[in-house]
Formats: sequence, C-alpha cells, structure tokens
Amino acid sequence: MDIDDILADIDGGSGGSLATEDLQALTRAWVNEKGSPEILTYPSELIERVMDRIRKQIETIEMQTGDMDPKMNFRLVILQTELERFKYLIRSFLRVRLAKIDKHALHILTNSEVKARLSASEIQYLTAHQALLHSHYRASFLAQFPPNLQRLDDTAGGISMVEHPDLDQVIFCRVLHDVADPITIEGTDTADVWLKRGDIFVVRWRHVADAVTKGEVELI
Amino acid sequence: MALPLPPGLTPPEVAFLCEMELVTVVPRQRLEGLELLGGTTPELRPPYRAVLPLWLALLLKRQRRANILPPPWLHPSSLDTILRLETEVHKETFSPPPLFPPSNNNLHETRSAPFLPSCTADAAADALPYHWLEVGEILLDAAPDDLVEPDTVRRLMRDLREVRMAKMRAGVAVLDGGAVVGLKGVGGMEVSEGRAFISGVIDNLRKIGASREQSRREREAEERENGYDDADEDEDMGL
Repeated sequence: MDIDDILADIDGGSGGSLATEDLQALTRAWVNEKGSPEILTYPSELIERVMDRIRKQIETIEMQTGDMDPKMNFRLVILQTELERFKYLIRSFLRVRLAKIDKHALHILTNSEVKARLSASEIQYLTAHQALLHSHYRASFLAQFPPNLQRLDDTAGGISMVEHPDLDQVIFCRVLHDVADPITIEGTDTADVWLKRGDIFVVRWRHVADAVTKGEVELI
Repeated sequence: MALPLPPGLTPPEVAFLCEMELVTVVPRQRLEGLELLGGTTPELRPPYRAVLPLWLALLLKRQRRANILPPPWLHPSSLDTILRLETEVHKETFSPPPLFPPSNNNLHETRSAPFLPSCTADAAADALPYHWLEVGEILLDAAPDDLVEPDTVRRLMRDLREVRMAKMRAGVAVLDGGAVVGLKGVGGMEVSEGRAFISGVIDNLRKIGASREQSRREREAEERENGYDDADEDEDMGL
C-alpha cells in the first residue's frame, strides 16, 4: 500500500458522509442567515439531525469521562472541543434569527408567507413575546393615549409603523452555480449582470434572494 | 438572547469559519479515527500524512503530536509569484482565486470555502484561497517552525495585504447606488473589513437616489407600454 492509496482512502472516508454534509449545510445556513436582511426558512430537518448527534455525543463523553487512561483523556479533549464548536454554531444561528424576529416582529406576524419560515418554537416565542410587550405598552402608556393613537401598526400619514426588512440592502455573495437569467436593476445605468460560478458580487439582496433559496448562490 | 451584531461575519467569526479549513498534517503519534460530529477523522499513523480540519491540527500541533504541512501557496516563492501577479498582471483586480471544482449539478452538495481542499498540501501554488490571510496568520502564529522561511513569508504576506487593501480602497471610487460590484478573488477577512463601508456607501447612495430611480423605472415601464412618450419627470416623488 503506497501513500497515494492511503490518501485516496482518507479522501473517501472523510468526504461525502452525511455528518460532513450536515456540517457544511449548517455552516452555509449560518453564514446566509448572518448576511441576509430578511429571515430565511428554518432548516428543521437539518437542525434535528445535528441536535440528535450532539445529544449522542454528549452521552458518549459523559460515559467516557470516568476513564482515567491519559490516552482516552486526550481523545475526550478533541471530542469536547468539537462539541463546543457545534454548539456555538447552532447558538449563533438561532440568535441571529431571534434578532431578526424581534426586529421585524409585526412584519412577520402579519405576513403568512414569512411566518411559515419560522420553526414552531420561534413562532411561539414571537407570539408570546409580542403579547407581553403589547400588554406592557398598554399598561404603562398606551391606555392614556386617545384611542385613535393607540395602534402599533398605524399607517397614517403614508408612513407605516411596522418595520419591514430592507430587501434592497446590498449583500456579499458567492455564485455556486451559473444562474440562467441575468440580474437587471431597473432604473439605474447598471448593465445586465450574469452570475457565473465562482464569482463574488456585492448586489442587492432582492435580486439574489431566490437563487440563495435554491442554493445557486451563497452569502459570504 | 438575540444577537446584537451588524449583518455579515465579524472578524472572530471569520476566524472561526477559517478553522474549518482542511490542512495536511504529518502525525508524530498514533491516533485512531474519532467519531466526530462533523464526520469521522482519518486514523493517524506516523509518518503518513492525513487531512484534518485546522482547529484539530492546531490542537495536535500545540501538544506536539503532529506537524502541519503548509499549503503550497504559503511558500516564499509562491507568494512572490502571486505578489508579482497582483502588482504587474492584474493591476486593477485581485489575482484569480484557485479554480472552483467542477459542478456536479447537485444544487445542495456544492462545496465552497472552508470545505474545499484549498489549504492542504495538494492545493494550487499560484493562487490565494478565500481564507488566505487567516490561514497564513494562524500558521505563522502557531506553527512558524513548520513553514519555510517564516520571516520571508510574513513579509510577503504583509506586502500582499497592502497591495490588496489598496485595490479595495481604489474600488470605492466606482461605488454608486445601483451598482453590482464584482469582487472575484477577494478574501474572507477582506470582505469582513470592507463590508460595513462598502454596503454603507451603496445603501446610502441608493436611498439618496431612490426617488430618481423610482421615477426612471416608471418612465421606462411607461415607454415600454406606449412607445416613446416623454413623460414629465417628478424628481421629488416619494420624498
């Protein structure tokens, strides 16, 4: 067996397994969510699989902690380091979603298409949190206002009180697959832009949102 | 608790992402394959090389259980070539990044940084990968004894960084509200540095020009409908 065989063997072993793919998918979901101005669809199956693995890994670590063998100890250090990295990834992902839910709460509540992107516990958080906030506002000052000024989603005067995500915000993205249709930004002098694999662009979110959902483009 | 951070990745988050890059190590101790959450690690048998994620390689390196084999582009002569590419051939743009692996048509399986083997011993020698700055700095910091002429590498990295920062700054002049800016070859840390400024400029210019853009869009739509009809432009609309 020469070195090439071993390398090929290693490549075959570490690539393509479901666990590795999930790590990649989770990382991509995290970066996408961090970059995009609006909330993206919750990858429930992916999170479930990863959480399941995390639970099993914690069990393994707990079972092996009693072992006093120094060699075993070092392996546990590696397992725990990786576990912490995964936990950080999940936490950061959920927290950036929570930040968006808080920011655009009324927008999400009134828009069923956006609301469908949330997980069950996120919806529960959103409704419970908004109910609390609303009753707090009402108790502390809203009740003393004239009735026509009490609404929190007023659109009088042409300005909506509901904060919507700015879909025209620019984002940084990498093209993973050639996109068939070019990007046209109407009303500006910008020429049509074709998204080719491997390119990196700074572009308005609105124009790549669909491609990101399809996986043709990822944010960076 | 929600995350009170600006959009995009902050420098520590970029470093975290970069630690998932794959590097080649030469183990000095045996270690059987471990069932990690992100897949099983290869068995380590000195003196055979193995490919590991950077965070694990650093852990092994710190305990002197392995040596890291630096990627070919982190060699003084390669960096020198790339620096020449940056200053003489591609004066306006970044030097071309390593080739993206061919597409396998499966939309959800395409790998990108940090999961491409762009920092292993088999990486291309003449192109800077996405996480070049972070990987370079981390290796200079944690494993200078594994690099060839670490001081020269450090100097060349600094030169490259300055040349590329100058390009990033020069690119600011062309920004406008409706622009689509191509940044092929840019690095992760460079995006993180430039993001707030670039997106701030583009977004604010867009907001300033929003009414003009809106009226022009309407006029163009109108023109498409009924031939060339010179409609009056209302500059103040929407303000």
